[in-house]
Amino acid sequence: MRHSEQQLRAWMTGGLDGDAAAHAALLRALVPLLGAFFRRRLSGADADVDDLIQETLLAVHEKRATYDRGRPFTAWLYAVARYRLIDHCRRRRATVAAEDLADILATEGFDNQVSARLDVERLLDGLPPKQARAIRATHLEGLSVAEAARTSGLGESDVKVSVHRGLKALAARIRGGPPS
Amino acid sequence: MNMDTEQLIIRLAQDVPAVRRHAVARRIALGMACGAVVTVALVLALLGIRPDLATAVHGFPFWMKWAYTISLGALAISATARLARPTGVSLKPLWPLAVPALLLTGIGIGELARTPAQQWLAMWLGASWKVCPWLVLMLAIPIFIGLLWSFRKLAPARLRAAGATAGLAAGAWAATIYCLHCPEVSALFVLTWYSAGIALAALLGALLGPKLLRW
Repeated sequence: MRHSEQQLRAWMTGGLDGDAAAHAALLRALVPLLGAFFRRRLSGADADVDDLIQETLLAVHEKRATYDRGRPFTAWLYAVARYRLIDHCRRRRATVAAEDLADILATEGFDNQVSARLDVERLLDGLPPKQARAIRATHLEGLSVAEAARTSGLGESDVKVSVHRGLKALAARIRGGPPS
Repeated sequence: MNMDTEQLIIRLAQDVPAVRRHAVARRIALGMACGAVVTVALVLALLGIRPDLATAVHGFPFWMKWAYTISLGALAISATARLARPTGVSLKPLWPLAVPALLLTGIGIGELARTPAQQWLAMWLGASWKVCPWLVLMLAIPIFIGLLWSFRKLAPARLRAAGATAGLAAGAWAATIYCLHCPEVSALFVLTWYSAGIALAALLGALLGPKLLRW
């Protein structure tokens, strides 16, 4: 199955914190993604694709310190894969189109997930801080209303009302209506 | 999944040490610092500290030279740190390097205005123009080697650019250390001959980058 940017990133940061199981889960999840990436760009040559998958897994492992925890994981992954592909073709004296990272993320279907997160942050910034905090806690960080109330020092009903009003305002803004 | 791939993953998952935050910056700082220690030792052993250093640090030229070389060194090293990640492909971080050069040019124009025209050439060439660029280049080599060591754990995608900025950083920090020896005082001297040495180091890095920074 195909994993989301969020899941891959969670495994990656887990591995960076020393969690070997998360690291193994990440590498396993990358095999089909890298397979699709290389197959799309090397027509035929299955042996080459397998080599490239392994070389890239090795590079992801050895160069994992160059991933910045605050940035999208898939952008880093495809930058590594792109370098491995270019290096592979250089060794075989073949040519390959050097695509932009933004184009690669679009082709592989990760551009929306990377930019969606940024869009959500931008929308939340337009809300009153109390509502934005309540929505972040309950909808992005996955806290229950009771937990969110405890961490913010508000009453549960206050959190519920803030989430409700905030989501209503966001919906209005996305539809292009005036902020209520 | 291919059996070899599965075995590779099992093998890699046995070696997962925690990675500290800012690992890239730490690695670059460590490589550079080790190289700089060697460069300081070379200056002490081969060139010697300028005898009037204690009085020079109270004057403008010494700090003008350091402000120039240190700002170039800091900008070059931050550009190198960006290019050390596979996602770092933009060369825009290099533009600020023009600022110290322009400021020093401004000081140089002031110097020309205050100096009679027949002394311009002597001021520009100083006493050491023939050796200055080459000494800066030589002193840059240990720092460059230190940075090459840093890059063994890093993942630059643009090898020539990363080599050039690493060379530039090595040259600028070598020039900073060379200031402990060099008694020249003219802004135009520094702008020409120091910059020439730093540029030679950047050129060396650009030539070697594609070969030595591959991963």
